Amino acid sequence: MDGLVTLSNELAAAVEHAGRAVFGINGRPRLGSAGVHWRPGLIVTADHTVHVDEEVAVTRPDGRVVRATVAGRDPAIDIAILKVDAPDVAVAEVADSDTVRVGHIVLALGPGPCASWGVVSAIGAGGAARRAAGEPFSLDLTLYPGFSGGPLVDVQGRVVGINTSGASRQLQLAIPAAAVNRVLDELGRRGRIPRAYLGVGTQQVRLPEGLRQRLNLDQQTAVIVVDVQPNSPAAGAGLLIGDIIVSLGGASITEPAELKSVLRPDQVGERTLASVIRGGEPHDLQILVGERPRRS
Amino acid sequence: MMMDLAGLAERLRRVTVEVSDAGESLGSGVLWPRGCVVTNAHVARKSRVAVRLVDGRRVEGRLVARDADADLALLRVPGTGLPTATLADTDTARVGSLVVAIGHPFGVRGALTAGIIHAMGPIMSGGRLWIQADVRLAPGNSGGPLADASGNVVGLNAMVVGALALAIPISRVTQFVRAAGVKMA
Repeated sequence: MDGLVTLSNELAAAVEHAGRAVFGINGRPRLGSAGVHWRPGLIVTADHTVHVDEEVAVTRPDGRVVRATVAGRDPAIDIAILKVDAPDVAVAEVADSDTVRVGHIVLALGPGPCASWGVVSAIGAGGAARRAAGEPFSLDLTLYPGFSGGPLVDVQGRVVGINTSGASRQLQLAIPAAAVNRVLDELGRRGRIPRAYLGVGTQQVRLPEGLRQRLNLDQQTAVIVVDVQPNSPAAGAGLLIGDIIVSLGGASITEPAELKSVLRPDQVGERTLASVIRGGEPHDLQILVGERPRRS
Repeated sequence: MMMDLAGLAERLRRVTVEVSDAGESLGSGVLWPRGCVVTNAHVARKSRVAVRLVDGRRVEGRLVARDADADLALLRVPGTGLPTATLADTDTARVGSLVVAIGHPFGVRGALTAGIIHAMGPIMSGGRLWIQADVRLAPGNSGGPLADASGNVVGLNAMVVGALALAIPISRVTQFVRAAGVKMA
């Protein structure tokens, strides 16, 4: 049984190694969440667990409670970044999440640390609305209460993603480390995480069978434009009320929420292609993605 | 790893019993040295229960001690000739280390589930100490062993909270057995 004992010791060592960088986050009433000291002074957690916009109380691995501030959010992939002054707390060892394969044994950690284990059950199988996260990992493990925002860890104790059960209790997902790194890079580059902005209001519409066949579309639904804000990127691109947006940047749009989730912060200031149906005919429009005006 | 788990399961099954009364399965128990079986107090509520051994033999278990607060009960059984449980030192259990449970969930005899130690300590501050395990348990696992990767029993499975398995640390069990007047070899 030496193989089992070895595996057991490796798993315990992985929890210990990764646990040194796990914070408790008290950003919502009642149930806390977890966060990872990802880069010096920056904690990554799940956006849906941080209800406040400024100061958040966080619990260090040694149990001390200190203040952190919200440095940026990317709600599309359920990531929030907190700034903290904790130079003596270990920074997580982050692995290349592209090496994660279906079937790999992984651990989920919460503050304490406490842990659960399981396997990666699928990669990138989260449906259209989840595409924005890159290729999220679907997990066959239990995310216990308070595990959202905590690290998904490989058997060597390296962080490969951030766990979130925000979308559904039935679905355990992790945002891959690579997607988190992109958000952090953006924060480093601009000093903030911009929110992409088009300036349209839309509603879901069912695409008639005949139209789908004629235009060779797989999707059953798309979104129809019901509002175009003046001087917005959408207005600038010539988008009109009544246009049906079928895809954006190559990703099919089947419901309004997907307009937000397919637009990444790093696309702000860049052009993206919107495929629309106008008067029954396909049109392609170039939209210069803007930045959502910040509330003052 | 498969071969190892199978061997581990086989070894643990031999020290795991089924406790029943009037044909109704009540839970599991662990064969203890000196002709004893330990189980949960909520499993052994009567002075006499039926104990089914791994080889199918049924023997009578006489209740020797019962502590409802600790949820522990000690039964005397006639000599079985079977091995008894080897015990781990709970203090060495680490969060993340592998654990396996054997029991009779929903009457499925000798079912194995595997997981890891989730945390050690109380569920709420000031509460009693538990081994909290990320391992799937169900009614029928109560009183059965939670063991480490070497097959040493680290705890006695007692209840499920949410998806979390709670086991009574083996040091607490030995303390109870000792208090009942049974000396360990």
